[in-house]
Amino acid sequence: MNRLRLKFSKNGPIKFIGHLDVMRYFQKAIRRAEIDIKYSEGFSPHQVISFAQPLSVGATSDGEYMDMTVNSMKSVSDVMNRLNAVMNEGIEILAIKELGEREEKAMTAAYAAKYRIRFRNSLKPDFDWINEFEAYLKKDKLSAMKKTKSGEKEIDMKPLIFEYNIDKEDESVDLLLSMSSAATLKPALLFGAFFNSLNKELSTNALDVHRIDIYRYMEDGETKYIEPFITDDINTRFILNG
Amino acid sequence: MNYNLAVPDEILLSIEKPERYIGNEVNSVTKNKADVDIRFAMCFPDVYEIGMSHLGIQILYGMFNSYEDVWCERVYSPWTDMDAVLREKDIPLFALESQDPVKDFDFLGFTLQYEMCYTNILQILDLSKIALLAKDRTWDDPIVIGGGPCTYNPEPITDFFDIFYIGEGETKYREIFDLYKKARKDGISRTDFLHECAKLQGIYVPAFYDVKYKEDGTILSMLPIYDDIPTVIYKEMCLDLNETFYPTKPVVPYIKITQDRVVLEIMRGCIRGCRFCQAGQLYKPLREKDVEHLKELAVEALNNTGYEEISLSSLSSSDYTQLPELIDFLIKSCNEKKVNISLPSLRIDAFSLDVMSKVQDVKKSSLTFAPEAGTQRMRDVINKGLTEEDILRGSHEAFLGGWNKVKLYFMLGLPTETDEDILGIGDIANKVAVEYFETVPKEKRNGRTIDIVASTSFFVPKPFTPFQWAPMNTKEEFLDKADKTRKGIMSQLNQKHIKYNWHEADASMMEGVLARGDRRLNEVILKAYKKGCIFDAWGEYFHFDIWMETFKECGIDPFFYTTRERADDEIFPWDIINCGVTKAFLLREWKTALSGKKSSNCRQQCLGCGAASYGVGVCFKERT
Repeated sequence: MNRLRLKFSKNGPIKFIGHLDVMRYFQKAIRRAEIDIKYSEGFSPHQVISFAQPLSVGATSDGEYMDMTVNSMKSVSDVMNRLNAVMNEGIEILAIKELGEREEKAMTAAYAAKYRIRFRNSLKPDFDWINEFEAYLKKDKLSAMKKTKSGEKEIDMKPLIFEYNIDKEDESVDLLLSMSSAATLKPALLFGAFFNSLNKELSTNALDVHRIDIYRYMEDGETKYIEPFITDDINTRFILNG
Repeated sequence: MNYNLAVPDEILLSIEKPERYIGNEVNSVTKNKADVDIRFAMCFPDVYEIGMSHLGIQILYGMFNSYEDVWCERVYSPWTDMDAVLREKDIPLFALESQDPVKDFDFLGFTLQYEMCYTNILQILDLSKIALLAKDRTWDDPIVIGGGPCTYNPEPITDFFDIFYIGEGETKYREIFDLYKKARKDGISRTDFLHECAKLQGIYVPAFYDVKYKEDGTILSMLPIYDDIPTVIYKEMCLDLNETFYPTKPVVPYIKITQDRVVLEIMRGCIRGCRFCQAGQLYKPLREKDVEHLKELAVEALNNTGYEEISLSSLSSSDYTQLPELIDFLIKSCNEKKVNISLPSLRIDAFSLDVMSKVQDVKKSSLTFAPEAGTQRMRDVINKGLTEEDILRGSHEAFLGGWNKVKLYFMLGLPTETDEDILGIGDIANKVAVEYFETVPKEKRNGRTIDIVASTSFFVPKPFTPFQWAPMNTKEEFLDKADKTRKGIMSQLNQKHIKYNWHEADASMMEGVLARGDRRLNEVILKAYKKGCIFDAWGEYFHFDIWMETFKECGIDPFFYTTRERADDEIFPWDIINCGVTKAFLLREWKTALSGKKSSNCRQQCLGCGAASYGVGVCFKERT
């Protein structure tokens, strides 16, 4: 038995496929690829697969993750080739890593996500949003009302933003945002609060969200850092303060 | 992949289920439009989840796309939210694969599976900016062609179609495409092209037939305006189902659809001859597929789709002679692949119960019986072979096997029906409950009990059935009968174990009008659409009041088509079509029905219905 972590992309019209349908898509793709997937026990067995974090409908990604358990396989690259042979265009398996027995599921190990945010052409703000946004991010406290199970509560978003990078020419912003069971910041909440701070309203669906990658939390001696789930590039590491 | 969607992202994000409109599904076919001669838009005029579940479209889609010179794409009815956006933003309706406007296509094909989709045909034409009336179309419009069961009486919608294809789609399209290519190359007129098509068997070009009426409103004559086209249109039929195209790479949707599984068609036609059933007559004679062929198709389709379920499709799967071998094979190979098997339309008996216990969770699944009527007398009239004894014996065995949910289907408003027949429904339901309590002793029930759902639909007489002469009940009669049924069930000893459902009477009446309608209804349908009628098959969008108002405005009495008793020799609007069974046979069956007698099925004895003229199928097998 092997536990595998797959990194995949979701681009093009497939961005309109909701999370549950992406799961169903993979269940069928795994059958088409004739992967020796492990099934759960019971009267209606299901494949042992799980996803790191749902992606909003309409968002694209080059860094989605799925864990799966196989009974047997020729090699990691064989699994990757088989899956890519049956993938629809728009979804591609970018990498596969074999997991250690005790390694946490992607779902629970996810700690942060990096996004590239643009505005859809037809819904671009009528003001100099990029400079305003830069100024906004420099504030000491970034308040937002977050919906919870029991209504709304005020949170400070500042500590949930690990890193940002503004590309004025491209009119895009890269954001590394907290995404864990403890605290998740979604780009729409941040931009909604930003618009509110200017007494403006963010029009629904104006944001063009692209997820670049999902990060996990790691410790190396004294150093606490986060890095993409699958990476060989040490430069993608982000050292956490303290 | 097609990255250029016809509808902008922000609109797709603002409507329900954008996945209905983006195409790019697994096994959908994309070609280079410069490489093909014919672009065919195939439409099921209902919402995506319904349309995508239809086997016929998957067959023709796969077959057309196997032709190098043809690219077939799909179109479904935009749901009301998308419909509003397309009109508001003036976005022409598009096909899913290329996202190109439907109007740019050479053909627009509709499959017509139920009468209540007729206003949706107009929605599709309208949103595509294609002239609604065939007479107003030019070469700038696609050739609009209709197929499917409703085209066996296409008269109510003749104004909207250039061509009706009568019969099974696999046989004649290649010839039509070749005629089309030649016509465009030679530069002949659209009318001349349609004239050429009208000479082919199975092809009905309604504009070329002139209908005259008698003073009483019935038909005097329907005659061709050219002498080189047929006076009667014979249905097309596949003679050998093992040789014909079958899609082993059907399109697999992203979203859940109604029929979300591999569908394996095991045979066409039916031997049973239930007198209310239109499909039973239209698809005669019964033709089986070879079991070895089916095994191959099943394996291929499962491998190509990745579906986790396979379903057998036919009008009466228990009548498939090689069923045990097929099911045995499927159970073995599906178990390995963790694939579920679903077996609709099986007769409940020891064999099917044994099979079902192997492929389903007995505790969750329910038994389905369709006695259709409450007394043996009534069941003899409709020629439904199922007896009360069959139901109780089947139930008994099922209860022993652990089942405790039973669904019973009936019809109200059948010809010659009396109060006794109606009360018989409650009686049967109660007897099933009693059977449970007698079969399963209290200590073995483990807190479970019997759970019966009885449903009634209102009988709608259909063309090409022995009941095509029968008067249909009025709404008031229907509701009165439903009430009697309910009271009959309530008076039963075990009534608290029986749940009763009944259908809308308004929609049944409308279906009755359209089913046996004539050309004069074209005007009503067009007007009703213009007043906002659309998605009539969906209760929440069906506006009975608008329809009735429109009949009045058009000076048409809807009851002429429903409650009227038809004379034996009346010329029906659908007499222009020959579906294989003769009118003389149907009339004979109608008389036999009225005398309360059953008829044999095709395997017992040939009734001389006429379908043997096709020279194949059960007609030429040894009888038992």
